Amino acid sequence: MASEATAEKFRALTPSEFFYRNRELAGFSNPARALYQAVRELVENALDATDPHGIHPTIKVILQKVSAERDNIFSISVEDNGIGIPSAQVPRAFGQLLYSSKYVLRQTRGMFGLGAKMAVLYGQMTTGKSVEVLTSTITAKNIYYFNIAIDVKTNTPIIHEKGVYRKNNGWHGTVVKLYLEGDWTRSKSKIYEYLKRTAIIAPYAEIVFEDPDGTITYFERSTRKMPPPPREVKPHPKGVDIEMMKMMLKATKAKTLLEFLIKEFQSIGEVTARRLIKNAGLLPDMKPHELSTEDVERLVRVIKSDTKIKPPSANHLSYVGEEIIKVGLKAILKPEFVTAVTRKPSVYEGHAFIVEAGLAYGGEIQPEDRPVLYRYANKIPLLYDEGADVARKVVDRIDWSHYGVTFPAPLVILVHICSTKVPYKGVGKESVADVPEVEHEMELAIREVARRLKRYLSKKKREREEAERAVAIAKYIPDVARGLAKIVNNVKEEMIEKELLKMLNMKLKSFKINSVSDVVVSIE
Amino acid sequence: MSYMSAVDVKARKKALKKIERAFSKLVKDILSGKAPTLVIRKRTLANTVFDAERGLLRIGNATLRRSFLNAGEAKKFMQTVLIASIIHEALKNDEYPTIRDLYYRGKHTIRFRDLVTSRIREENTWDEQKESDSVIRDLEVLIDMLREEMLILSKEKGKVVGDMRIKSGDDIIDLSKMGHGAYSIEPTPDFIEFKDVNAEFVLVIEKDAVFQQLHRAGFWKKYKALLITSAGQPDRATRRFVRRLSDELGLPIYILTDADPYGWYIYSVFKVGSITLSYESERLATPSARFLGVSMIDIFGSDKLKKKPYLTEAERKNYIIKATDTDIKRAKELKSYEWFRTKRWLEEINIFLKKKAKLEIEALTSKGLRFLMDTYIPEKIETGDWIA
Repeated sequence: MASEATAEKFRALTPSEFFYRNRELAGFSNPARALYQAVRELVENALDATDPHGIHPTIKVILQKVSAERDNIFSISVEDNGIGIPSAQVPRAFGQLLYSSKYVLRQTRGMFGLGAKMAVLYGQMTTGKSVEVLTSTITAKNIYYFNIAIDVKTNTPIIHEKGVYRKNNGWHGTVVKLYLEGDWTRSKSKIYEYLKRTAIIAPYAEIVFEDPDGTITYFERSTRKMPPPPREVKPHPKGVDIEMMKMMLKATKAKTLLEFLIKEFQSIGEVTARRLIKNAGLLPDMKPHELSTEDVERLVRVIKSDTKIKPPSANHLSYVGEEIIKVGLKAILKPEFVTAVTRKPSVYEGHAFIVEAGLAYGGEIQPEDRPVLYRYANKIPLLYDEGADVARKVVDRIDWSHYGVTFPAPLVILVHICSTKVPYKGVGKESVADVPEVEHEMELAIREVARRLKRYLSKKKREREEAERAVAIAKYIPDVARGLAKIVNNVKEEMIEKELLKMLNMKLKSFKINSVSDVVVSIE
Repeated sequence: MSYMSAVDVKARKKALKKIERAFSKLVKDILSGKAPTLVIRKRTLANTVFDAERGLLRIGNATLRRSFLNAGEAKKFMQTVLIASIIHEALKNDEYPTIRDLYYRGKHTIRFRDLVTSRIREENTWDEQKESDSVIRDLEVLIDMLREEMLILSKEKGKVVGDMRIKSGDDIIDLSKMGHGAYSIEPTPDFIEFKDVNAEFVLVIEKDAVFQQLHRAGFWKKYKALLITSAGQPDRATRRFVRRLSDELGLPIYILTDADPYGWYIYSVFKVGSITLSYESERLATPSARFLGVSMIDIFGSDKLKKKPYLTEAERKNYIIKATDTDIKRAKELKSYEWFRTKRWLEEINIFLKKKAKLEIEALTSKGLRFLMDTYIPEKIETGDWIA
């Protein structure tokens, strides 16, 4: 009854009105958080317009104080070199909530395509100013300019101004500029941290940031390799519940149950399909719509308990990949050692997910009392609620001394989960919940990179010890050679020195000493 | 023309040859690609053997292999080669370095790059003299020669007077014509030639002051003795000199020390040798040496041996010094040494541990120099009241 009443109330509000009243849900709770959130939403849209389409992102972010008198009003301008927005769709893309190109079944950074419009709405609310958009698609002959506001009462776009310009260069992409109330002092460190972590996970992007103080930061593109683009994919059988199975049975064009299982799901071939049908006590030739509720329940139960079905393919998930994670960590953190692992896809409650872990150690990383954790979900850095995140729990549970690390130590752990449905904790979407399958995968991933660190550290230790032993001998070679040459007639000091160094080098495994003078500087 | 004595010239040739032979082998190894290794007998307590039959300490057969290509041994190896080359050079240049000289000649700074940190660091070939002294001893064991035979000098400590003529260098010295002084026993006593002697026994005294008193009072003339002092712990020259007097002249050796573990150990160094220099005992120890006193029984007497004490109750009260914890500890250590585990010595040590009392020889001169000279010493020698 209560839920019906609530639903009734929701229907009375337009989405614009609803979000206008509940803006903290989307992360616009105060001026500091709002400024950070707006930057983030626009940057993520820019990335979504580029990398899934095979374009190396070039993103320019300019944050400025609008006037000298009011130091809490800012303009944000984000420019990308993406696929652009067809001119007909621009008004709704920025001026109508719950309209988005993201309503397809594949993994993207944002979940609802809502963020940028919340930023527009928040800006309009706090400054009365509308959003300006300049865009052109790859094939368009023109560049389009819009000045748009949202009519909150009707959830429709109001076009204040529109312009069309002949395109005489090959430019494509989008520039979005909006005005909002913010707090730079209190959001500065978060915005910088956000951009740094974005640069780590997307080292194939180049990002320029000009902040309100006029400081320009350039995150260089450090690789041209990009992650595989996300693709649409048929559902995995383990991710389908009874209700969804019923809907699929009703909608399918397959003539038989056997054909249905093979055609509509991934990871099911004829052998598997026949086994599942047999175990559910059904017949391969049954027509899909003839299955009773009990039949469907049995079939779903059999699928859930079957252990031989292949795990979902990673094809539709856009994981970052070991190489790109390593490049990103190396470029930004300048560590001494870096490694990364991409786990095989796994499933929780029927949803495929991939966990990736990266590890950076030493170099320019500052030692801390515990591992520094960089969390990502679908390539978005998560900066808030770290304490509640399952990744933090896993990292803290590990006995790092087992891996040769004693704190304080310069250790950064990166954990990335990608999924068509990330199991967020709470509405803030800033931390990942303690789902056992996810926790398990994270632990395996982190332990794997930790093991590699241990191997590196012990190899380094062995090499250091060998170098120490070699020096402990080499530094005395001149004195021994000279002493022996003095005692024994007709033997040259250089000859003895050469032979001793040769014998020492034969014992060394990890390096050689070219000349005694590399070690002995002088004898005084 | 050379001003050097003939014995020195001969000694130099021999030492040079021995050093060259040992290190030529090492060079040959190196040039044929064999890891250079020095094999040296160990100078440790565990490798010190008491030869009961001959009554002296000897170095055992355990050896240590000092390989240059072993990081833990490289420095000692270098130091051994370094000291050998310095001694070799000194022999060639007709020099007489002291062990202190050798320390300074070998001490220099190696500046080297630490390959791990790339920092330049410094290290001395050695920092303290005990490091260079230690490799000198290794070299002695390695080439089976005493450092004195390599013409390395040390401070003269021991002194001797008596009715005896010796040849030192190219000079004849009359040990009965030293005035109030005495002949300092040279660091190379093997080069001394005994000419003629008119003495019946040798008295070795730990304390220089007591030696001087007996010398001036004419003890050696009156009792036909050779009088020697080690002035504390005996150096090698004094020990070698005493040994030669025993071996070559057949004179009985009596040793007079303080009545405490320190004095006992001085006696034991004369008699059986020292633990740290056990390789030298063959030439330095005098197994026939006798401990004349001062014994615990001299102080306290013994009902069992029916001996009266030399001191009265009142004298004991004045002269006895309370033993320290270190003395007690040292006494217990001596008790564990095989050569102290005789009936008579255990008796001595046990009295000491019981009474916790010690006494200096000076206490006897306090009782009266005449008492020491004309009663205590002659009486004990005459009645055979010593510990063998």
